[in-house]
Amino acid sequence: MRRVISVLVAVLLLCGVGYAVIRSIDPPGVTTAQVRVLIGSEKAEFFNDPEVIEEFKAKGFEVKQQTTGSWTMPTANLDGLDLAFPASRGPAEDIKKNKGITAEAVTPFYSPLVVIAHKNAADALANANLATKGTGPVPWKLQMQPYLDKVRTDTKWTSLQGAAATGELAGDIYLTTTDPTTSSSGALHLAAVSYLENGERVVADDAALAKVGPLLKKLTDKQGDQKTSSDGPFKDFLSGVGNPLVLVYESQVASLVAHGVSTGDLVVLYPDTTVSSDHTAVGLTANGRQVADLLKDDPRLRELEAKHGFRPQADPAAFGKALAGHSDPTFATELSAAGIKQAPVASVAMLGKLVDAAKGK
Amino acid sequence: MRTTSVLRRLAPALLVLALAATACTSEPSPAPQPDPPKDGVLRVLAGSELQDMAPVLAEAKKATGVTVQFTWTGSLDGADTVASGQADGKYDAVWFPSNHYLRLDPAAQGKLLSETPVMTTPVAVGVRSVMLNEMGWGDGSQVTWGQLGDAAAAGRLSYGMADPSRSNSGFSALVALASAFSGAGAALTDADVTKAAPQLKRFFEGQKLTSGSSGWLAEAYQRPGQSRVGALVNYESVLLSMNRTLPADDRLTVIRPQDGVISADYPFSLLASAGQPAQDSFQRLAKYLTTAGAQQRISETTLRRPVTPNVAPAAGVPTDRRRELPFPGTRAVADGLLSSYQNDLRRPSRTVYVLDTSGSMKGPRLEALKTAMARLTGQQDPRGVRRFREREEVTLVEFASKVKSERTYAVPETSPATELARIEADVRALQADGGTAVYSSLREAYELVARQQAAAGDDRFTSIVLMTDGESNEGLKEGEFRSWFGALPERQRAVPVFPIQFGDAAKAQLSGIAELTGGKLFDGTSSLDGAFEEIRGYQ
Repeated sequence: MRRVISVLVAVLLLCGVGYAVIRSIDPPGVTTAQVRVLIGSEKAEFFNDPEVIEEFKAKGFEVKQQTTGSWTMPTANLDGLDLAFPASRGPAEDIKKNKGITAEAVTPFYSPLVVIAHKNAADALANANLATKGTGPVPWKLQMQPYLDKVRTDTKWTSLQGAAATGELAGDIYLTTTDPTTSSSGALHLAAVSYLENGERVVADDAALAKVGPLLKKLTDKQGDQKTSSDGPFKDFLSGVGNPLVLVYESQVASLVAHGVSTGDLVVLYPDTTVSSDHTAVGLTANGRQVADLLKDDPRLRELEAKHGFRPQADPAAFGKALAGHSDPTFATELSAAGIKQAPVASVAMLGKLVDAAKGK
Repeated sequence: MRTTSVLRRLAPALLVLALAATACTSEPSPAPQPDPPKDGVLRVLAGSELQDMAPVLAEAKKATGVTVQFTWTGSLDGADTVASGQADGKYDAVWFPSNHYLRLDPAAQGKLLSETPVMTTPVAVGVRSVMLNEMGWGDGSQVTWGQLGDAAAAGRLSYGMADPSRSNSGFSALVALASAFSGAGAALTDADVTKAAPQLKRFFEGQKLTSGSSGWLAEAYQRPGQSRVGALVNYESVLLSMNRTLPADDRLTVIRPQDGVISADYPFSLLASAGQPAQDSFQRLAKYLTTAGAQQRISETTLRRPVTPNVAPAAGVPTDRRRELPFPGTRAVADGLLSSYQNDLRRPSRTVYVLDTSGSMKGPRLEALKTAMARLTGQQDPRGVRRFREREEVTLVEFASKVKSERTYAVPETSPATELARIEADVRALQADGGTAVYSSLREAYELVARQQAAAGDDRFTSIVLMTDGESNEGLKEGEFRSWFGALPERQRAVPVFPIQFGDAAKAQLSGIAELTGGKLFDGTSSLDGAFEEIRGYQ
């Protein structure tokens, strides 16, 4: 993350100048330029927010959004679009490559991957030492190595103490993710697991790939059909259907909580080693690049980003501020302070190979 | 919320405006041509279950200016339409109970740009409430698929279930059953399917009704007579909605088996081929449908569950959770399961085709009939949607002024190719001449079925297809047939006739026959292939 920031500071300065020039030509509130953005579904509500629309309008833009899975963007038809805004750097880099874009992409905010569960499932994990319970401001954590051991041995929920009492906790223990071939969260999860399975080293060669491949395939096979976008499994969970453990972006839950919506007995479990999605905006036109910069620099937009559960890169306190006064479920306002490690993500090319291995291709 | 309540008062008037349903039932191929793209109109290929969304969409039109123009088809046929590219440019979006089957098709990759789940409901079993006590199932909340299977195998529980090769409800039930019976802890494998086969066979001994659409099942459920079933496999929301109008004796207790269910989440899905105005309309409508007001209205209207946490499910929708069973992760496993169902697991069928080869059929009509029938003998049919199945008994009754010939074929359990080729050869040899004696020929078909049933002493899915291009002008009169039919024993009257309207057929005569026998009229005028194929879901 630090590395990203230092690059971004330089870009920010350059763009800031261009931005100031254009703004001075454009009288505020008189003309608005329509900007078409292609986003991952997890950002749909942010762009639909009337306050976000209002702030963009005040800055001279009307943003029209279209959602799709982040990994479908590099191959999607981007004609007529001003900005592609996937949930991670990988697809953003592919878009740049495919479109021959040399300008640096912008990462206005990020969000770590978390696991959501109903209270009874979280308790069952904690009883079996697969999770540590949250208390007060300390968040719940999922112990990744013990969890992966249970996956390896096809352990069933019914073998965990406390799970037998409720009929819904049955079958093998595994996380539901999105399809890593189309969606960023599924692919990032594979990156984190491959890092752990490779002895906490980034998978960088074919030998390491061969070592981690079988576990990735097992994690994927267990799930069967996977949804293409992170909105699907999350909505299923909220509707009371789906697997007991679902991998989502922290922002999906935090947004509801920051808006004062009760999430019932939902528990947020932070994997002790996780990956963050660096929501990365690739400007395809000058207007698109301006919108990307506003997302990163505009204080009002940053505040709204945090209200939608994202963590603005340039304002580390914003996330905690947006959730102030809400204690249920517990969020880790500071990830490293809570002992949540970030797994580095393999290169785009290697990530593609990891996905293929997981899908048995 | 104030807007919503105003809209609610306006709803009856808006209903008329909102829905332009272009076809009533499915047609596998080719679909009727929807209109060319129009601003503010979203052309949606959808599952017919969504007809119950009419009031919600009327309000959505008021709020968003978007009119939905539906074309109905089955979930799996719809997946084929999208994967083959036939939906591109013709529709802007698709909306089925689930996109599971579609996602498994590599050809469908990239066809959908975005998917928004709108509501959920599990596939469940509705059992006649009056039967629960005698089954010893209490309030039904603790029943498992295993118990349902035991009751079916013991002859104590008969039920109707939609064809899993066509309908998402049937397919989801089949996957849930195979998971439960194999004890699979995760997504099904071929080995799990093999392991589950003996118990699946027992469960399907109780299946007395099959259909291509859930609507027909609901009607058949209420028909008096021997074919009256004790239960229906369908979406929880459909079963709960049926209870709103069913008489007390027919009311259903909805069982979500303890060992797990598969839920539909109705993803409203934008096709990647949709034009810009349609994409904007889609976004507006998708956004509207997930607002708290719309979610509440959806749940109250359809008895499905909302997907937003700030809205509670409508009264009467249970809120305790069930294990959600995963869906197979490959097309090979999914198709293997469907093929086993059709060719091995389900009760075999006795299928009689009463085919009009009168003089008016000469030329293109006879050729169309031969092509349509020949498709049912083809080998290219991975999920068992068309081809005559292994163990199926097929009889061709050729008629004009009188019955010209009757030939019966038994498709064997293994190596069916030779027998299928015989059927095809005989179909190819049909000749057109003579008048049209519909009722007399139909009577002979019923007599033939009675002889076959008596000789075999078996209990097959039995049905008659009647294809004619004209009005009955010889032999028995309609009234004579009706009184003859009325005097038949119960078992014979339980055999439905599925008439296909073709050429200059007398629609009134044919719908009369369908109604009298508990069948369903199919329209073969635009696609005879399509009608013959669609009826396979009922055989």
